[in-house]
Amino acid sequence: MSSFRGGIHPMKRQHGGKRPTRDLPIREFISDSVCIPLGARQGPPSVPCVKKGDAVKVGQPIALPGPGPLGLPVHASISGKVTDVVRMAYTGDTPVMCVLIENDFHNTWIDGIYGQREFSAITPESIIPAIRDAGICGMGGASFPTHVKLSIPEGARCDIIIINGTECETFLTADDRLMRETPMRIVNGLRLVMRALSVSRGVIAIEDNKPEALKSILAASANLPGIEVKKLRTSYPQGGEKQLILTVTGREVPSGKLPVAVNAVVLNVATSAAIADAVLQGKPLIERVTTIAGCVKTPANLLLRNGTIIGDAIGECGGYAKTPGKIALGGGMTGICAPNDQVPMTISTSGIVVYDEEEAQSLDEQPCIRCGKCVGACPSGLRPYILKHYCDEGDLIGAQSEHVLDCIVCGSCSYECPAQRWLTASFKNMKDKLALAAKGGNGK
Amino acid sequence: MSLRISTAPHIRKGVTTQKVMLHVLIALVPCVIAGIYRFGFGAALLLAISMCTAMLAELIFQKLAKKPVTTNDLSALLTGLIVGLNLPPQAPWWLAVVGSAFAIILVKQLFGGIGDNFMNPAMAARAVLLASWPVHMTKFIAPINGNFGADVISGATQLTAINSVNSPLTLSGADLFNHFTGNIPGAIGEVSKAMIVLGLVYLLLTRVITWHIPVTMVASAALMSLILGGDPLSNIVSGGLLFGAVYMATDYTTSPMTKKGQVIFGAGCGIFVCIIRKYGAYPEGVTYAILFMNCLTPLLDKFIRPRVYGAEKKQKEAKADA
Repeated sequence: MSSFRGGIHPMKRQHGGKRPTRDLPIREFISDSVCIPLGARQGPPSVPCVKKGDAVKVGQPIALPGPGPLGLPVHASISGKVTDVVRMAYTGDTPVMCVLIENDFHNTWIDGIYGQREFSAITPESIIPAIRDAGICGMGGASFPTHVKLSIPEGARCDIIIINGTECETFLTADDRLMRETPMRIVNGLRLVMRALSVSRGVIAIEDNKPEALKSILAASANLPGIEVKKLRTSYPQGGEKQLILTVTGREVPSGKLPVAVNAVVLNVATSAAIADAVLQGKPLIERVTTIAGCVKTPANLLLRNGTIIGDAIGECGGYAKTPGKIALGGGMTGICAPNDQVPMTISTSGIVVYDEEEAQSLDEQPCIRCGKCVGACPSGLRPYILKHYCDEGDLIGAQSEHVLDCIVCGSCSYECPAQRWLTASFKNMKDKLALAAKGGNGK
Repeated sequence: MSLRISTAPHIRKGVTTQKVMLHVLIALVPCVIAGIYRFGFGAALLLAISMCTAMLAELIFQKLAKKPVTTNDLSALLTGLIVGLNLPPQAPWWLAVVGSAFAIILVKQLFGGIGDNFMNPAMAARAVLLASWPVHMTKFIAPINGNFGADVISGATQLTAINSVNSPLTLSGADLFNHFTGNIPGAIGEVSKAMIVLGLVYLLLTRVITWHIPVTMVASAALMSLILGGDPLSNIVSGGLLFGAVYMATDYTTSPMTKKGQVIFGAGCGIFVCIIRKYGAYPEGVTYAILFMNCLTPLLDKFIRPRVYGAEKKQKEAKADA
């Protein structure tokens, strides 16, 4: 099995890693109310089209696409009454516009949803617009609008679609469960994308620590021309887009370019399933499977409606097992911290992981002992120990000469570092600084 | 509810500098036991003196320099132990004090403390002791093998004997076995090769080090001795080659960061050991070979670097496409 350079095998000891949730079936949880953020993904924030007091049905648009090609609509995830449309603090620094809906528990859908259309009845041209109208963005974490990803730019071509079922992140088993329980949706999503882009090769890539998912997807895709299932070595970050492309195709995405530069498109398994629902059933994206793990009483995989308050989801899992010290949306390696448990999850929230007070503490940073573990771990071939010096000194040029922009912020170097240095954090900081500087340069 | 906010990753491997040093200390326990068994309590006393000196030197220096005290990371303790293990068993006590203090203060702390020294502190200390007090540093006693009341008998290492007549080193079967088990005169920690191999296995299993440096160092020394007309096996089991390859050349701070660099570093060490042994004025080449390669490490790190994903391939691909 070919694979990318570097990589790590993150912990199994803390809360048993993936073990507590991997064998639990997906369970639906619908909360009393939701708070749907309209600017929680890449691209312009969507523009609200409902107001306080409006009654909404499940799947009804509550916000229209923002300006530009990246704009996406947002749909109500529960039926009920809009209680407020207001700017609220979210995980980032800036507050985002949110639509709050109170559940009437009738679960009334908009009309024209529950009809599975025939595969043959779907024209290739209709697929991408349907994906956009369903409000689909990448569900692997980056939340990039999927219709943009699938719009191959002029002059470029795509010859392979890769469905990312690696789920290499710690704690998370949502994708694993999805592959085991509804493999057909994932395979259908892949077939639709292949049809839309007239690509003849589709690969579903799964790490070898998920034998059941492999079996289930293999069965679902049997006898389908052009679709292969690839078993990959378990190693973090196998599911990193660039790493996955290298492992599956042997191609390397040039620095600063998108995967389409090497004729590849990568989609997460959940995104693929959402595409199938959108195109075959006309169902907008209003829910996702999220792993609730860590310091909660009964970890679970919950099917959550978009905008569920994370505290409600944690409550559904029996609440906190100990006093929480940190809550991160996403896995242990790349999760984003929530300021409190009253913020909502979104379509890109693959996991809600609670850390107790002890785990939330970080040890003091110590001097680098030049052990070279960071260099060995880096999947991008960087030299984190040198790069950190430049980042700490705020040297933008030096950091770029050490390829900070090729850092994928996977966290492997920090994970390995015996001196507990905040390597990834300083690189992320530097990348943000450079992005800001680039923006400022364009504005002038 | 007050939650901590931090950037990812939220989990760490749990390996700390202190744990790494502790692993190396544990890996040295067999050598320490063998050294004391072979050479008696005098050896134990020397080790204790050098360890205490190293810790005290670091503590006093950091207090005086008003720097944070880092003795907790155990690196000073380890340096002290290695300085001690490099001493002949009957060396005067002040040799241990001078060696450890030199290693910690001049080689480590004055260059910025842990991680900033460009030479292996214990190795540099040994070089200085060897140059300053050659008589004390090359007078070895025959092993007493647990017979702690016995009189000590002076001897010389095989290398000194062989080098003095300038003939290629070749050991016979029984001698080879004695070298391997440590039943020979020599420095406290160096003699028992079996115990060093045991330590190596421990360090590899705990993933403190990888095979790259020790294996290439020993292999290249074997090859080089063959080229120079010596017996590879005798060269490997004599002197401080194995001890140096396992515990000193693998020092994180003074060896290259990349695996490729480490292979070159190890090979360089092995080659220079043999050259110095054969042509040098000193009987033992391990110290200077490693120190020399320590000095080359920044250069190796400058030129041998991992290929950045997607960066340098661009031109090649462009050519291939054209």
